[in-house]
Amino acid sequence: MKKHFLSASLVLSTLTSFGAGYQVNLEGLRQMAMGGSGTAWPWDASTIFYNPGGLSRLKSIQVYGSLADIMPATAYGNTQGSTTTKSQTFTPFNVYVGGTIKEGSRLGLGLGIYTPFGTGLTWNNDWPGRYLVQSISLSCVFVQPTISYRISDLISVGGGFIYASGNFALNQALPVQDMNGNDGTAHLKGTGNGVGFNLGVQMKVNEHLQFGVTYRSQVNMDLNGGRATFDVPASLSTTFPNTQFVSSLPLPQVFSVGIGFKPLANEMLTMQFDLNYTGWNSYDSLRFDFATQTSSLKNMHVPRHYRNTLTPRLGGNYKISKVVSVMAGASYDPTPVTTGFVSPELPDADRINVSCGASVKPFKRLTIMAAMEFTTTAKHAATYNYGNFNGTYTTQAITPGIGLYYNL
Amino acid sequence: MKKIYIIGALACSISACKPSVNITKAPTAGNAVFTNYLAVGNSLTAGFADNSLYVTGQLNSYPQRLFEQFSKIAVHGASGDFYQPLLHSDMGFGPQDTSAPPPGLNFRPRKVIGEVTNCLGVTSLAPVNLPGYAPDAQDAMQYQSPGPNGQINNIAVPGIRVADYPVLGYGAGNLYAARFYHNPSTSTPLDELQYSVANLHPTFFTMWLGANDVLGYALAGGQGNGAGTATPAIYNYYSSNDITPASVFQANFDTAVQVAVSTGAKGALINIPDVTSIPFFTAIPANGLYITRQTLADSLTAFYASKNYVFKLGPNYFIIQDNAGVTRQAVPGELILLTTPMDSLSCAGWGSIKPILKQYVLTTDEIQNIKNMTSRFNDIISQAALRNNLALVDMNSYMSKIQSGIVYNGITYSTQFITGTAFSLDGIHMTPRGYAVIANQIILAINKQYGSTINQIDPNQYNGLMFP
Repeated sequence: MKKHFLSASLVLSTLTSFGAGYQVNLEGLRQMAMGGSGTAWPWDASTIFYNPGGLSRLKSIQVYGSLADIMPATAYGNTQGSTTTKSQTFTPFNVYVGGTIKEGSRLGLGLGIYTPFGTGLTWNNDWPGRYLVQSISLSCVFVQPTISYRISDLISVGGGFIYASGNFALNQALPVQDMNGNDGTAHLKGTGNGVGFNLGVQMKVNEHLQFGVTYRSQVNMDLNGGRATFDVPASLSTTFPNTQFVSSLPLPQVFSVGIGFKPLANEMLTMQFDLNYTGWNSYDSLRFDFATQTSSLKNMHVPRHYRNTLTPRLGGNYKISKVVSVMAGASYDPTPVTTGFVSPELPDADRINVSCGASVKPFKRLTIMAAMEFTTTAKHAATYNYGNFNGTYTTQAITPGIGLYYNL
Repeated sequence: MKKIYIIGALACSISACKPSVNITKAPTAGNAVFTNYLAVGNSLTAGFADNSLYVTGQLNSYPQRLFEQFSKIAVHGASGDFYQPLLHSDMGFGPQDTSAPPPGLNFRPRKVIGEVTNCLGVTSLAPVNLPGYAPDAQDAMQYQSPGPNGQINNIAVPGIRVADYPVLGYGAGNLYAARFYHNPSTSTPLDELQYSVANLHPTFFTMWLGANDVLGYALAGGQGNGAGTATPAIYNYYSSNDITPASVFQANFDTAVQVAVSTGAKGALINIPDVTSIPFFTAIPANGLYITRQTLADSLTAFYASKNYVFKLGPNYFIIQDNAGVTRQAVPGELILLTTPMDSLSCAGWGSIKPILKQYVLTTDEIQNIKNMTSRFNDIISQAALRNNLALVDMNSYMSKIQSGIVYNGITYSTQFITGTAFSLDGIHMTPRGYAVIANQIILAINKQYGSTINQIDPNQYNGLMFP
């Protein structure tokens, strides 16, 4: 005789993942202030990220550092009530060192450390979607040694190898209550890494017109040896054993084209326009495979079905004087999340970003920059069929950032 | 530079970073008036759970949930309080359950999840009688409603059938009815309904009756008249093992509805689920004879050589006793009752060298009887709803959806015993979450019929099963 009672599965019904649009577009302060555009114009050493081909356009080696402070909040509501995520701040940073190895050289070398992906949010513990997600965080750091070569005055090319490292944590309530009615909790935590590359071609037609084309490959972030721990009633401790898990998250490929030009006769204004095509459709499902499985703890394969997105970005830089410049820009970042798959760990929607900033050059070699980005989504009614969890969401984020670079 | 940063942080703290979504809408009553709500029904309406009636279960009944939603309506919403014949304790109250180890007459402990070690020494989690159970004397006392005119809004009686509605002195034979009936030993349940209607003047009612008219037969393993041709055992009282004849059901049900609508009340009639889909009948699979050794399979095959039964490693269909007392192997679709003694299955050879006794088995023809009669009763309920312009809640269809599993806010509700969240530890009645899910279905039907806009409930804010 088989044990009848409780031998059936208390499946971790909908262990979900990080979210949509977990891309972060804050890899350079001046570019951030210009709507995230920067493929065509090699402004500074952050071109290691925006277009490795532009690195050999820098006049010398430059040291660059910047920090942004994302303060996002998402509100959820249904016909019964509403809630807002707890306040959190995230601080993606960028460090670049690079440029031409000596003045007049055709060869540029550099190293970039930047944070192109990440997400996080924390809901109240008793919110209606707690069995899907209570909190989530994902952060990734890319390290990219880069080489760039100026083939001619017109064309320079560049490429970099990417080593990515990241960490991930997810907390979720489990529908097994103790004698006081408290939910169980699942905690999943892991670190991972992956490799990829970043290629770029930069075209300088003249001082007034430049073009850029880049391709950054997909990086598969493999989480091996992640730890799954469960807070459950004692009688279920063998049903939900603490165990290891493996998972993999695609950090998608991005193909970008950009144009930069100076429309005014006084050459003080630089306008630039980028298109990013992001290959989100590689994020087809989220998988957690547990080392120890039980009748209740089964491998999770959750459909995601993201779609590719095309993001236009527009920005301008106005040089008021030799010392001061101001920037402004905007972008429209469509969501990769498809209808019926809007899950509450990142209830993404089409985003509108507007940004502005300023730079000051107090000394000849030093430039200090500050920027501000405001992100908003329209209130959108969303459905998540997998967990039958529906509602209306809206997300806003304010992101101030500061940075500086120094020409050696 | 720094200035911009600070201004940014400031702007954020004021408003920009705190988006909000407010799409709550004030519920409206539509054409219905929910001022005085009366709930009529059986154990499912009383908030019965975990094989007993106890106060926390009552406070989580679906009528309580409905009342809470009705009272959020500004115009024509429910007024005052909702009075249920509440017990005093969470011990459990009711007649002795003859299928469970009986601690004493009129002892009915509620079930909780506990560890049970079976005859093989295997320990597993299973429903057990509440440890430390001691009947609460106040539970047995007559209920006096503190409400205006002693009003009682939920007059559901666990165990009651439509067949019982004209039975004189019904309250004398039902502990639950006796607690709050106006004249338990001299009235019929119909009289009591009339009394409640006269006392409360309901403007809205829900009626969920009829499940027990088939369930008694099912719980008896089909050991009764299931053809719908039963005759009264005494005067107009039908044996609880019989399925009520359709003509009796129709006459009694229609009369009850007439009484309920006599004050002009609007309401909802809830039909009868397919009782054979609930965990009580599905938790033990008919092919639950799990053989792990080939020698055992071979010896069983040899044992039944004359009947040509072949036993293999893995799951096999149990050996059962059919309605005529013939020993045979169960066929797909047949059901084993949850009350089947587990140690007899595990150690005494039941289901293998001895048959599972017929009172623990629903055979194919018995199941067909239940389905046929349920369908006839549901036709009667549909017609009554149509004739009286009442909302019809098709719980039969909805329960079959639950059988295959429905997901709500990340939780899967199913008819899986214990793990399915919806059903309590008796496999028949619901958990607080399950009752909230039922309330949501009733709300949908009410909104549809009366053009009201009553909000759905989040079932996940109520308890499911609790584990030690």
